[in-house]
Amino acid sequence: MIQTVAWVVSLIFMVLIALVFAVVAFKSKERREYEPIKKKWYKARTVYGTALVIVLLTLTIYTLRELPYNQPVYGAETEPTVVNVEAMQFAWKMSQTEFKVGEPVEFHVTSIDATHGFGIYDENMTMLAQTQAMPEYTNKVYITFDKPGTYEILCLEYCGLAHHLMIQKIEVTE
Amino acid sequence: MITANSDVKLRNKQISIYLVIGGVVIGAMMIFGILMLLAQGGVIDVPPAAFYQFLTIHGTGMVGAAALAAAAVMWYFLSKYVQLSLKVFKLNLVLFLIGVVMVIIGIFSFKFAGAWTFLYPLPALSGHAWGVAGALLYLGGMLILGVGFLLLYIDTGRAIIKKYGSLGKGLGWDVISGKKAEKDAPPPAVVASTMVTIVNTTALTAGATVIIMNMINVINPAFTFDPLLAKNLTYAFGHIFANSIIYMAVIAVYEILAEYTNRPWKSNRPFLIAWTMSTAFTLVIYTHHLLMDSVMPKWMLIMGQILSYANGIPVLVITAYGALMIVYKSGIKWDMASGLMYLSMFGWVVGVVPAIVDATIVVNHVMHNTKWVPGHFHMYMGLGALSMIFGFIYYLAKVDKGLRTKEIDNVGLVCYTLGIISVSAGFLMSGALSTPRRWATHFPEWMAPAVFGAFGGILAVLAVTIFVIYFIRYIMARGTTGSDLNEKKLA
Repeated sequence: MIQTVAWVVSLIFMVLIALVFAVVAFKSKERREYEPIKKKWYKARTVYGTALVIVLLTLTIYTLRELPYNQPVYGAETEPTVVNVEAMQFAWKMSQTEFKVGEPVEFHVTSIDATHGFGIYDENMTMLAQTQAMPEYTNKVYITFDKPGTYEILCLEYCGLAHHLMIQKIEVTE
Repeated sequence: MITANSDVKLRNKQISIYLVIGGVVIGAMMIFGILMLLAQGGVIDVPPAAFYQFLTIHGTGMVGAAALAAAAVMWYFLSKYVQLSLKVFKLNLVLFLIGVVMVIIGIFSFKFAGAWTFLYPLPALSGHAWGVAGALLYLGGMLILGVGFLLLYIDTGRAIIKKYGSLGKGLGWDVISGKKAEKDAPPPAVVASTMVTIVNTTALTAGATVIIMNMINVINPAFTFDPLLAKNLTYAFGHIFANSIIYMAVIAVYEILAEYTNRPWKSNRPFLIAWTMSTAFTLVIYTHHLLMDSVMPKWMLIMGQILSYANGIPVLVITAYGALMIVYKSGIKWDMASGLMYLSMFGWVVGVVPAIVDATIVVNHVMHNTKWVPGHFHMYMGLGALSMIFGFIYYLAKVDKGLRTKEIDNVGLVCYTLGIISVSAGFLMSGALSTPRRWATHFPEWMAPAVFGAFGGILAVLAVTIFVIYFIRYIMARGTTGSDLNEKKLA
């Protein structure tokens, strides 16, 4: 689950940073000449900076391999189910709300008034995918449900006083 | 440059007015934040209309007040190097106050609750929750407030160009290119101010454009414009303006930590390159707010991720690293000012981590507009930028009036640290649980982190109250005896 990976990775780096700051604060009580410190730690910075750039570059390449914007490559016999979604204050109008497990689905999402957010949640209330629902434009979400159950569409862009009530159930069966 | 004693007094008086307004408003906005978290946590009952009004005032007030206070920090240090106009500085405050009054009336008397991002066409399409008057008062207030800041940055730009020749030279491009020696590079305060001048004149122009278009749309709904363009302009304004707060306030870190450790923090070539990078990246990375708009050109979204990653490099490699180096084995005297400065660097760096994670497109696909987002910005704005501002308040009171701190101030520092960490952790936990942001109510499984965050918020408000009381002591001491430690070394 991406959320767990994001949480754990963030936590590890945040704790690491806290440790570095704690050590430096602890060491601040000593008093040494600045020039030798500068010389030593400027050298270390070159290594640290280079390492950081390499790590970020690797992460960039790795995470950009598959983007949610790209239409999946379907098999020759497979036709995706296209669902037209219209958001409005404060409801969802969907051309279809029942799907099969393994059926590739494309949500074509737009809005007839303000900007909304189209978020798909599973039965554990974990978000699986999202896009913006914007007037005059159609954003697409590609998803294949792999478990049966009742999923929910939640509004994820503030759209007015009943924003939090914009919930639509969808059913996925075997 | 401000050199005469009378000028110093006038400057400090004006700066202290900016800061006291900023501090009080920030404290008040925290209370709205706590109320929202308590409502989401199911502890208190807040009607949705009131909740979204709180949301609107909280975002607007926090960004506005922090920007005002950070501008004071920048103005204080920049005025040591260039000749700024005190009249423009005062005018900005007057326009700020007019804008704030209009915003408050718009929200609380005319029920405007379009959030501080006022995403087109929401101001005109409220579902009958608010009318034309509320939207116009809010948007007009924002416009007036923005004009004040724009005038301020035009003045800082003018003063920098007059002294250094151009904004490019203010960023030290002639040093980067080797035409000028490193020893003649502009000081960090000037470099940072030049960066903020460039990015914020751009941001405020974009903001004014989208605000005016929204206002016309509110008056005459037949006048419409492209929602995607509006969104780009809104986030170009909002992202840059909010982020510039930290770039203004960080000047205090450069100046104060150098003074306390008695170690110089001068502009060298890597420092100047880093600030040029920050200037360029800050201007263009707002597209990471539009990663879930697949109709955007794909290259812009990919660049949004790449440049957001890259934007972490200047702070991680230059500014934070520099702060750690300058403090390391320095024998620094820890007090409220130096403590808050150090804390601010921690807050900034630690907040960069979840921010970078969220700027990753595949992560953003499941975490955009969840509470993960306020999680990271409460870290680098609350623990980062605001600590810089509060630390500067303690610094100013010390150098201007020699005002001593009490044990309660240290308690405030601890409460503030724990409070903001708890608020941020609560948001991040919520984000990891997929809790949407900006929801008036929560499902039961989302409530616990909100309550946890609310208690953190209460600690933070207690701390800010302590800080503000200290600052009021300083205001009261002004005009009486002055120790004028302005030039005295504190290390």
